[in-house]
Amino acid sequence: MPIEITMPRLSDTMERGTIIKWHVTEGDEVTAGDVLADVETDKATMEMQAYDDGVVTGILVSEGQPVDIGTVCATLADEDDDGEAPAPPPVEVAAEVVAPAASAPAASPAPAARRSGGRRITPVARRLAEQHDIDLDALTGSGPSGRITKKDVLAAAQAGDEMKAAVPPSATPPAEPAPTTLAPPSPVEAVPATPVTSGELALHADDRREPVSGMRQTIARRLVQSKQEIPHYQVSMAFDMDAITDLRTSLNEELAQVEVKLSMNDLLVRACALAMSRNPLMNASWDGDAIVLHGRVHIGVAVALPEERGGGLVVPVIRDADRKSLRQISAETRALATKARERGLSPEDMEGATFTISNLGMFGVEHFTAIINPPNSAILAVGATAQKPVVRDGELTVGWEMQATLSNDHRVVDGATAARWLGTLKSLIENPSTILV
Amino acid sequence: MAILAGSARLKEPTFGRQETMTMAPSTPPGDHSTPAAADAAPDTQDTVHGPASAAAYGQQPRVVAPRPLNSTPPPDTLKQWLRDMMLIREFEIRSMQAYQNKLAGGFLHVYNGQEAVAVGCIGAAKHKDPVVTAYRDHGHALARGMDPKVGMAELFGRIGGCAKGKGGSMHFFDANNQMYGGHGIVGAQTPLGAGLAFATKYEDEVINGGDNTRVSLCFLGDGAINQGAFHEALNLASVLSLPVIFVIENNGYSMGTATARGTAGAGHLEDKAIGYDMCSTTIDGMDVITVWQAMKPLIDWCREHSKPALVDMQCYRFKGHSMSDPRKYRSHDEEHGWESEDPIGRLANHLTETGAMTADDIKAMGKTIRGEIRAAVDWAKASPEPGIEELHHDVYTDTWGPYTGTSLPEFMQRRASDRGNG
Amino acid sequence: MVREIEFRDALREAMSDAMRDDKRVFLCGEEVAQYNGAYKVSRGMLEEFGPRRVIDTPISESGFAGMAIGAAMLGLRPIVEFMSWSFSLVAADPILNNAPKMLYMSGGQLGCPIVFRGNDGAGGQLGSTHSWCVESLYANVPGLKMIIPSNPYDAKGLLSSAIKDDNPVFCLESERMLALKGDVPEEAYDIPIGKAVVRRPGTDCTIVSFGRPVHFAMEAAETLAAEGIDCEVIDGRSIKPLDRETIAASVRKTNYCVVVDQSWSFSSVGSEVAAEVHRLCFDDLDNHVHRVHNDDVPAPYAWNLEQEMLPNTRKICEAVRACTYNA
Repeated sequence: MPIEITMPRLSDTMERGTIIKWHVTEGDEVTAGDVLADVETDKATMEMQAYDDGVVTGILVSEGQPVDIGTVCATLADEDDDGEAPAPPPVEVAAEVVAPAASAPAASPAPAARRSGGRRITPVARRLAEQHDIDLDALTGSGPSGRITKKDVLAAAQAGDEMKAAVPPSATPPAEPAPTTLAPPSPVEAVPATPVTSGELALHADDRREPVSGMRQTIARRLVQSKQEIPHYQVSMAFDMDAITDLRTSLNEELAQVEVKLSMNDLLVRACALAMSRNPLMNASWDGDAIVLHGRVHIGVAVALPEERGGGLVVPVIRDADRKSLRQISAETRALATKARERGLSPEDMEGATFTISNLGMFGVEHFTAIINPPNSAILAVGATAQKPVVRDGELTVGWEMQATLSNDHRVVDGATAARWLGTLKSLIENPSTILV
Repeated sequence: MAILAGSARLKEPTFGRQETMTMAPSTPPGDHSTPAAADAAPDTQDTVHGPASAAAYGQQPRVVAPRPLNSTPPPDTLKQWLRDMMLIREFEIRSMQAYQNKLAGGFLHVYNGQEAVAVGCIGAAKHKDPVVTAYRDHGHALARGMDPKVGMAELFGRIGGCAKGKGGSMHFFDANNQMYGGHGIVGAQTPLGAGLAFATKYEDEVINGGDNTRVSLCFLGDGAINQGAFHEALNLASVLSLPVIFVIENNGYSMGTATARGTAGAGHLEDKAIGYDMCSTTIDGMDVITVWQAMKPLIDWCREHSKPALVDMQCYRFKGHSMSDPRKYRSHDEEHGWESEDPIGRLANHLTETGAMTADDIKAMGKTIRGEIRAAVDWAKASPEPGIEELHHDVYTDTWGPYTGTSLPEFMQRRASDRGNG
Repeated sequence: MVREIEFRDALREAMSDAMRDDKRVFLCGEEVAQYNGAYKVSRGMLEEFGPRRVIDTPISESGFAGMAIGAAMLGLRPIVEFMSWSFSLVAADPILNNAPKMLYMSGGQLGCPIVFRGNDGAGGQLGSTHSWCVESLYANVPGLKMIIPSNPYDAKGLLSSAIKDDNPVFCLESERMLALKGDVPEEAYDIPIGKAVVRRPGTDCTIVSFGRPVHFAMEAAETLAAEGIDCEVIDGRSIKPLDRETIAASVRKTNYCVVVDQSWSFSSVGSEVAAEVHRLCFDDLDNHVHRVHNDDVPAPYAWNLEQEMLPNTRKICEAVRACTYNA
C-alpha cells in the first residue's frame, strides 16, 4: 500500500498550506524524520517531515499551490511494495507535477520542467475569465488539484452580475455612455504614499496582498516620475455653463435623428484644443535644455477602465483635435473608449498627446487636481457641472457652473500663461458658438 | 561452398532438361482464355479459378517451354542491341562515378554484366508488353527506351528525373514505355507483375472482348525466390492463368550470399515452377542472342496461351550488390573468369566475326554513347532540385490538407505535348 | 426508393453499382465468388458479373493484394476483400509499401486506384490474432485514405466514393455490424470521404467516434442525458482525411471532448484526434481530451474479458463524466 503524505497542520490557526519548496523528488528514498518540503503557513515557513521510510512515488502538489490540510501532497512506497508501482491517486496530478530536484541523486531521472507556483486554469476558463472580467486569482478551483474550470468562472461571472444588479442605481455612473468611460482617476491619491518598489508591508489577518498588473505598474511608475520630476502648480477657474449646456441640449436634439449624441466632454475637448491653438506656449514639452513647441494639437482623454477589467487608466488620444469637428471628436472618443473597454487600446491609440483632460464630473466631484501626464506640460482636471447659486449681472441666481483646475509644469508654463489659457477657455465655453466653427 | 565455379557453369547452358520432359497436356486449372490450345488439353473446368481436382495433382507431366529458335535476328537488330547494352554499361559506369562524387545518393545497384538479360528479353517482347523489376532497374528502363537524361536526373534527385527525384535509383518508372518500376523491396514486384498481367488480360478480354495480346515481364533476383510473395505470385499466375514471365536474373548471389547458401535447389531454380504447374526454362543470360532465341518463343507462347512461365536466367553480376559491397564473398579469380563472358564482348565478337561491324565501327559507337551519357550527366546536373512544393505533391491525386494533387513529370509532359502537336 | 437493408447488402450495392458503371472495376478475394462471400457480402455477384470480374483467390493475401495493386497500376480499379483486416497483416508490404506510395515513387506517373475492404475490430470471441483493429496502424501511412462506416447508409455511400477515388482507400467494416439494418436508397449515391457527421447534437460534451463504437457512443449519450449531460456525438465516417473542422467546431461549442477509438491507445487514431483537438481548440478546452480505447492488451477470448476490453458504453460514460468534472 502506498503511504500518503498529507498537508500537515502546522499551526493552530492554519487551514491551508503552501509548499514553497520540495526537498525530495520522485524516486528518492526517504527515512522517517527527513524533511520532505518547506511549507508556508499563515504564520511561518515550517518543515514537512516524513514519518515513514520509503521511496517517493509521486509528488502531487506543486510548489506555490495552496492546499487544504489533509490534501495528499506526495506518496511513498514502503519497502513491502517490492517495486510494485502503487496506483497514483489523481492521475493528471501525478503525471504533471514534479518537484525541482535540488537534492535528487544524480542517478534519478531529471524532473520535467515546470513553472513554479503557477495556478492551474483550463484554457477555456482563462478565456472566459478574460471575457467576463473575472479575477482568476480570487477564484478557488473546483477541478483536480484546484484547477479552475469553466464552471468556476461562469459561477463567478453570474455572482458578479447578481452583485451588480443589487447595487443601488444611484451608485452607478450616469447613463450617458461617453462620460462614463471617460472617468479618469488620475488623482493625487492614486499615487502610493510609499515608494512603489517597496514590497514589504506588514499584512494583517484581514489584509490581502494582490500582485499588480503591468498596467498598474506603468501608471505607478509614470505618475511617480511625473510628481517627482515636474514642478507642479495649479490654477483653478469657475466656468458659467448655462450657455454651453443649452447649446449641447439643442445640438443633441438636432443630431438625434442621425443618432449622434455629444457629451459635455466632447465640447470640452474641442474647446481645449482651440484654446491650445490660440496659446501655443501651452502646447509644449520640457526637453532638458529646450522647450519643444508642438505644431499640432493632440488631446489625451483619460479613461478609467471598469473594475471588472482590473481597473486602471488609459489615455487615448484625439489627434489634431483643433481641426476636427465636434461630431468627429465625439465619434472618435466613443470608438476609442469602447475599444479601451472591450479589447484594449493599441500603443498608437495612446501616443503623442500634447495635453490631457481628466474629468471626474460624472462622479459628482466638483474640484480636484490632476498629475501631469508626461511629456505634457499641463493637464486639466474637470469637475461636475452643477447648479449653484451664482452672481449674474449683479444678481444672485441659480446657474450651471463647472470648476476646472489646470496643473502646469512650471518649467514650461508660468502662472500668467496658464491664467491666460484658462481665460481663453472660459471665453470659449461661455460663448460656445465660437467652438462650433 | 559457392555454387558458381568459375565460368564453367554456363559453358554449355541447358534448357530445362528437355530430355526428361514430355509435351504435356496439363493445363493449369481454370484456364478459360486459351480455347483449344494446340499443346494443351481442353480445360474441363467451368470457372476461372476452381481448384484442380485431387486426381490432377502430381500425376500430370509438366507443360514444357517451347524450344529455342535457331535463327538469329538481322544485323541491324543486333547492332541496336549492342548499342543498348553499351549504353547501359556506360550509364552504369557514370552512375558509379556520380555516386562516388556524391551527385547520387542512397543505394546504387548497377547492372554491369547482366545487360544481355534486359536487352534480350525486352528485345523479344513487344513494346506494349509491361515490364516490372526490382531495384537493379536502370538496365531495364534504358532497354525499354527511357531517355538516359531522365534516368540520370532521377539518380541525382532532380526535378527532371523520371519520378521528379522522388524515387531515386531503385524506382525508375516510365509508364509510356510500359516500364512499371523499379521496386525496392526484394520480391515485392512479383505480385505486381502478376497484377500487370491480370490487367492486360482483363483489358483485352473483359473490357475489349477479344483475346489476350500482351505478356508481362517480371524480373527478379535469385534472392527474391525465397520470399513468400514470389511463391504467392507464381501460384496466382498459374491458377488465374496470367500471361506473365517471371525472369529470375540468377547472378549467383543474393546480395552477398551465394545462392546455394540460402536457396534449396539452387542448381535448378526453374524447378520452382513445378509446384505451380508452370512451364519453365533455363537460359544463358550472358549472351543476348541466346536470350532472345529462348525468350522469343516463350513470350509468344505465353501470349498465345495466356499462361505464365518461369525462367532461370543465368548471369553474372560484375560489380557488388551495391556500391558499398567489397565482394569479399567471392574470389578475384572467379570474377576474372567471368570477364570473357561479358555479353557486350560476346555480341561484339559475333558482329565482327560475321562482318556486320568492324572494330572501328564499335569503337565509334562507344564514342557516340559516351558523348550521349556525358550529355545526360550534364543535363541532369543542370536540372534543378525539386522545389519544396513537390514535397506534398503526388501523395494523393486530389487536393486536401497539405496535399496539392499530382501532375506528370516533365519528360512525360513534354512527350504528351509533342504528341499533341504532332 | 428507400428500403431497409443490411449493412452487407449496402456494401454489395455499392460494389455492384460501380461494376455496372465501370468495367475496370472488379472484385477479388477469398470466397467472394462461388461461396458468395465468406460473410455473404458479395452474394449474387458472381452470377451477375461472371468469374472474370468476381474472382476467388487462394488464401494468399500478400499475393492477391499485390496482384490487385499491379492491376491498378495499369489502370484497373480493383476492390480487394480481406475476409478480415486481421489477415491483411501478411499483405502489409503491398498494401502499405506499394499502394499508397506508387504515385509518389513514380513522380505522378501512375497512381493506385484501389479499395481494400473487410472486417475490422473484434468479431466476437475470435481471440487476439483475429481481432485486429488496423486503423491506427495503417492510418499512419501517407498516401492512403481510410473510411469506416457505422451504418448501412454510410456503407453504401462511402464505399461508392471509395471505388471512384483515384487513391487507395481502406474500407473498415465490422463483422458485428454486417447484419445491422438501416434505411438505404435503392439508387446509387456517394458520401464524400473526409467529412464527418453529427449523429446527435448536444451542448455539454463532444464524443468523437468511428465505425462500430459510434453505436456505443450513442448509447452512452442517452445514459448521460438522463444524468443531465447532453453529449454531441460525431461520427467521423472517415479516418483519413480526418474531418478536423467538424470536430473542432463541436468542441469549441462544448469545451469538452471524449474520443472513442476501438484500436489501442498508443499512437492511435484517438491520440491523433486528441492532439488535433488540443491544437485547434486549445483555448476552448475545459479539460484535456479524454480517450476511450481497447484496453492495451491482446484481445482475449473469454466473453467477459473481451467485453471489458472493448471501448464499451460504460467506459464512455465514465470518460465523459470525468472529462466534464462530473465524476
